[in-house]
Amino acid sequence: MDVSVTPTPVGPMANPAVSERAQARRETFRVLIRRPAFILGNVIVLGWIITAVLGERITPYDPFNQFFAGHLPPSPEHWMGTDRLGRDVLSRVMVGSRDVLIIAPLAAMLGVIAGTLLGLVMGYYRGTVDDVLSRIVEAFLALPVVLIALLTLVVLGTSPFVVVCVVGILFTPIVARTVRSAVLSERQLDYVTAAKLRGESGPFILSREIFPNVLGPTVVEMTVRFGYAIFTVATLSFLGVGLQPPSPDWGLSVSEEYNNMISGVWWPTLFPALAIASTVIAVNLVADSLQSVLSE
Amino acid sequence: MDYPKLDKVRRSAVPLQLDVVEAFAAGRLSRREFIQRATIVGLSMGSIGMVIAACSSTTSSPSASGAAPSTGASSAASSAPSAKAGGKLRIASQKPVKIDPVAMQDLGGYGITAQSFEFLCTADPGGNQSSIVPGLALKWTPTNDGAVWTFDLRQNVKWHDGSAFTADDVVATMERLVTAGNSGLKGVLPPGGAVAKDANTVVFTLAGANGNFPYLVSVFNAQTLITPKAYVAGTTLDKVPAGTGAWKLVTYNAQTGATFERNPDWWGGPTPLDGLEFIFFDATGPMVTAYQGDQVDALVQFDVLSGKSLLTDANFNLIAAEAALHRQIWMRTDKGQFADKKVRQALAYTFDRPALVQQLFQGKAQLGNDHVIWEGYPYFDSSVPQRVQDIAKAKQLLTDAGVSNLTATLHAGQLLEIPDLAALLKSQAQQAGITLNLAVESLNTFYGAQWCPADPKDPPCSGAAELGIVDYGHRGTPDVYLNAALKTKGIWNSSQYASTAFDTAFTSFQTAVGVDAQKAACKQIETILNEDAPIGLPYFYNYFGGTSKKFSGTYTSALGQMFFSKTSQA
Amino acid sequence: MARFISRRLLLSLITLWLLATIVFVIANVLPNDVGRTILGPFAPQESVDALNQKLGTDRPIIVQYVDSMRRVATFDYGDSYVSGQAVLPQLAAAMVRSAKLAGLALLLTIPVAIAAGLFAARRRDRPVDRGIVLLGVTSSSIPEFVTGTILVVVVGVQLKLLPVLATPPPNADIPTQIRYLLMPATAMAIVYFGYIARMTRAGTIEVLQSDYTRTATMKGLTTGQVMRRHVLRNALIPTVAVIAVQVGYLFGGIIAVEKIFNYNGMGQTMLFAAQQKDIPMLTAGAIIIGIVYMLATLAADMTMAWMNPRIRLDAER
Repeated sequence: MDVSVTPTPVGPMANPAVSERAQARRETFRVLIRRPAFILGNVIVLGWIITAVLGERITPYDPFNQFFAGHLPPSPEHWMGTDRLGRDVLSRVMVGSRDVLIIAPLAAMLGVIAGTLLGLVMGYYRGTVDDVLSRIVEAFLALPVVLIALLTLVVLGTSPFVVVCVVGILFTPIVARTVRSAVLSERQLDYVTAAKLRGESGPFILSREIFPNVLGPTVVEMTVRFGYAIFTVATLSFLGVGLQPPSPDWGLSVSEEYNNMISGVWWPTLFPALAIASTVIAVNLVADSLQSVLSE
Repeated sequence: MDYPKLDKVRRSAVPLQLDVVEAFAAGRLSRREFIQRATIVGLSMGSIGMVIAACSSTTSSPSASGAAPSTGASSAASSAPSAKAGGKLRIASQKPVKIDPVAMQDLGGYGITAQSFEFLCTADPGGNQSSIVPGLALKWTPTNDGAVWTFDLRQNVKWHDGSAFTADDVVATMERLVTAGNSGLKGVLPPGGAVAKDANTVVFTLAGANGNFPYLVSVFNAQTLITPKAYVAGTTLDKVPAGTGAWKLVTYNAQTGATFERNPDWWGGPTPLDGLEFIFFDATGPMVTAYQGDQVDALVQFDVLSGKSLLTDANFNLIAAEAALHRQIWMRTDKGQFADKKVRQALAYTFDRPALVQQLFQGKAQLGNDHVIWEGYPYFDSSVPQRVQDIAKAKQLLTDAGVSNLTATLHAGQLLEIPDLAALLKSQAQQAGITLNLAVESLNTFYGAQWCPADPKDPPCSGAAELGIVDYGHRGTPDVYLNAALKTKGIWNSSQYASTAFDTAFTSFQTAVGVDAQKAACKQIETILNEDAPIGLPYFYNYFGGTSKKFSGTYTSALGQMFFSKTSQA
Repeated sequence: MARFISRRLLLSLITLWLLATIVFVIANVLPNDVGRTILGPFAPQESVDALNQKLGTDRPIIVQYVDSMRRVATFDYGDSYVSGQAVLPQLAAAMVRSAKLAGLALLLTIPVAIAAGLFAARRRDRPVDRGIVLLGVTSSSIPEFVTGTILVVVVGVQLKLLPVLATPPPNADIPTQIRYLLMPATAMAIVYFGYIARMTRAGTIEVLQSDYTRTATMKGLTTGQVMRRHVLRNALIPTVAVIAVQVGYLFGGIIAVEKIFNYNGMGQTMLFAAQQKDIPMLTAGAIIIGIVYMLATLAADMTMAWMNPRIRLDAER
């Protein structure tokens, strides 16, 4: 039987690596979507983001200026009850998402961007640059995050700007270390040698060749950092050095009301606490899925 | 009216005391006010009882304990005969910052030092927060004009190390306080003003007449604990344990707690309890938890928000004293947006005081009228109309002042209910179109940066923020509030208030010799402050403390000094 | 091995220096009248100036820095600005208390977490494994102050099973001390369970798939022998790394737990010192924490090197 073979069109030879990469990314995405953990995590986070963005427009009551009787238990009028000053807890929990979802991602992004740049430079150039920077990075890694954050915030005052900067800076070393090890394994591969032989400059190689390949671990790292950032910011607010009253921030709400749990008033503490937990869990589920998929 | 009895007292009274007796006899003072005034001017318990009996001949024999404040320590140690001796009391207290009797500023420190040391005039076991009773001083007598006071000291009192307590110890203590610039004595007692006439008498020559002087050397001026002659400035109780009081310090750990044991040689007799164990906390919440978890038996002080459950606990002996504890919302009067009186008044008219009292204290507070004269003081004048929330008037005042869209930063420190107060004030002010942006900071930062900055360009208290909330503890007389917070160039005058009218009124209050004069001066002060409104003062709240019902006999001052010398297991 | 250790020690010293410098910078970045802070707002200015001179806080900042570094090196930390008492004894006592709490927390979590991780890895992708992973993710997402609060109310107050104040009475025996510390330690242990279990699981999976494991099985060793001789050693390497890193986060979690249970460990002490701007306490405390962290990482690194000779060689490159 005659078999006619349709000639396969041969596309342009330039950058076969890129289209391969794009295809790989699409594949990864498809695998991710199938994982329930990934979906669930994203749904929850998106839910909170939407709540944060819409804010007061969708809250049942004004979270700052409307006062009812204090410590009303959950009821059809107040699904989550009221706090000690008589403000509706559900409204405050909803608006409380805003501060966390602004500060934590900003801090995480700051840490990731700074850390990635640092890691790329350290991993690629090696030599004295790497040695010196590595020492500094390791030194910073040894610092207990919460202690330094605490000190800085107490001294400089607790503005959201300072919180973002402090947490971001303290996350940089960890990201740098991760990126650095990824770069170390990449730089020995052939395509890098090829680029160097072609005469490409260092920065070009870093940005065009190496960086896209370390994107995987970087993305995972960013998600993980995001989770830690929420955790850390909540803890700092609980300790009293994060956001200040009358912010409905979750960590702050817990610290203001947890003493009342003794009297049986559990709702103003439990709901913000669940909010924190749900967000961090959701982010970690996403991070975990990304990690298992991207490392296979 | 039993004139013979009355005359007996009149004959031995000095003019200042006579004036108080006459005022009561003529009906110008209520019984409660009389008792307060009389103890200040030095009338003995016996005399007070006699006067009351004389003037109320319709009631038969006056019950000494009902009419006069119980004398507590000066009468025989009167623990109920059925009380068990022995046992230890575990007390939850704020962590002291300092236990240096001269320099301490915090309630934790006051409470600890007051166990070992004592005051010349001490707290009323009956719990009245504007009365004082004899402590280390048995009697105090003013001269005609109240510019010289003679204190007769209790005899046969020993220090913990066995040496005798004498007038020299009192003189040395007072000198130390004057050198250190003690806020209560500043401007009242000059250096060298205290002199020992003999081993048991001290004569105080004041800078000017002062009808309230005994308060300034009482439990309400917490640093005036009498310390031994050899106690150098800067010595702390734990470094050199000493005292004349009922309890000897055994152990002290600045972080965790302190223990005291009974002083068997105390002049008041042996205490029913064997010892005290103080456990230190950083916040009231864990204190309440500890009580609920049966790990402490008493709380020196707690606030309504953390201890709501204690207010209705059937097994808790609640001590709820009406007191002059308050918050001042200061507004800069010299420059800034609040320099115009109308703007300050406008803000004051936005306060919904009853709502604040209800939401922050469950109703357990008294309304304030933007002045520091608490209604529990005997010379409080009630004729100044109480300011209430009037949004329309507030808006009108703002328009009159030519101000629209007033926006200001309200500074506050992290202390008890103050952040909540700020949140409520913000929403109340909003109703009149005033936007307040809150800036809450940790207490330490707040004091040093917003209230009276650490490095004032123009001492003593310049550079304060334009608008802020500061806390004031209880005082037996308003002298400290008036002197420090409101007098021109007062050391705590964060509103930079400088009014000659006020200063004059204050001076006439200080030198007022006689109940009527004091009341008149107070009326003036109240009117001026209410009108000028350098500070907003929405409430005076109650002091809460208490013990489990397993123990009885505890009493306290509203400054955190809790007394256990009469406490026993029920 | 000796070169490895000496290199690590040198590194540690640099880190400690950096830590001390950071604390100094933070503490002095804003103008700070130390004399005034100690004596209070009402003392006369002359006393304040005299005290400042005595403490040396009126000298130029560079001089103060050099002096501060010298004192850090000679362990001369001076007296607290707040209490006037020596700083080191107080911190040492606080450190011991925190160490007990942290120790109990690790003791509770490590065996359980490792066992769970191994168990999950052997049954990879089966429901049990998925369950354990989910449990791990969840438990490490709940901040310590959340679990702590719930424990206090439910176990401490409602059920009255355990005391709500973590400080045991003085001279208590070990079982009593454990009883008092059980709740706060559990609050911390729950968080670390997640990390350690997942790390162990990941490490074990990698090892199970490796060549030498397969070789061992093919050689005829039983599963038990394989596990003991080959898998455990190598699988636990990342776990040991995680545990060391957690020492740093341990401190953060401890602050919140100590606050809830009113336990006077390093966390409470440092929090209080930060609020009071007690610089000697802060400097000394930060150094001590840094040293502890250094020792923990060093111990972890040495354990890893002992467990896997390749790491030793790697580090010397």
